[in-house]
Amino acid sequence: MATQLVDHSALKVNQTGIVTTVLVAFVGSAVYRPLLVLIPLLAIVLLLGTFAPQLALFKQLYFKVLKPRGIVKPRPVQDRPEPHNFAQGLGGVFLAVASVLLITVPVLGLALALLVAVLAFVNLAFGYCVGCQIYFQLGKAGVIKAS
Amino acid sequence: MSTQLWALAVAGIVVLAAACLEVFRARRARRRSAGATAAPASEPYILYFTGDGCTVCRTHQEPALAKLGQVRIDKVDAIAERTLADRFHVYTLPTTVVLSADGHPLHVNYGYATAPKLERQLAEARGGLKVATA
Repeated sequence: MATQLVDHSALKVNQTGIVTTVLVAFVGSAVYRPLLVLIPLLAIVLLLGTFAPQLALFKQLYFKVLKPRGIVKPRPVQDRPEPHNFAQGLGGVFLAVASVLLITVPVLGLALALLVAVLAFVNLAFGYCVGCQIYFQLGKAGVIKAS
Repeated sequence: MSTQLWALAVAGIVVLAAACLEVFRARRARRRSAGATAAPASEPYILYFTGDGCTVCRTHQEPALAKLGQVRIDKVDAIAERTLADRFHVYTLPTTVVLSADGHPLHVNYGYATAPKLERQLAEARGGLKVATA
């Protein structure tokens, strides 16, 4: 399958945004519960960004602010964007489920949101993209056309 | 605050369970691949499982493999070569397998393996040491 240039700095900014938002919601909700609204908002941001990249808040922050001002340097890599988009969408779905759980079973909702943040951190720090691996496995199983 | 602590505990348990599963998978893969041979060689060599969608393969694993110098590296498309990938229970990419000269798998590394780690495993393979590492 054809590759194209994917700016990995945009992906890193996205992951940083996810980790930061979830942590702010998690820690902040201990003293100010309404901060939990950040979880469903993040789910919306991720899902919107998956289907309409121009609405991907953190990536747009990178492309419109951080990159032009030289705050974050671009790192273009020959890559396929599909696994990364899939991973982002998966994160969005999990956060959407977490948002529902926050109403019914807050502990599970928060735990699920934390797990999304942990996976985003693993990707950010170690370059290990679990969502991309799931994409690969689904491709291997023939569920999606990944090869 | 107790909600946060419980959530942290639940998330921690899930992460711990995932780590245990990873250890179990690695051990099972070693058992399954014991005695499996690819192509015999005169020196220990590496099977490198990769795929089109694997970014870490290109950005991390391949530069690490390039640092190894004169080592035979058999690059395998894990999706095209499913039988071989299944033999080593490849469930993530990249996966590297260090094999002895007679084709016995000595180390299976799931995920990115650094150059020093691979060098150490190759040195053990050359020295006839068999260490179970994944």
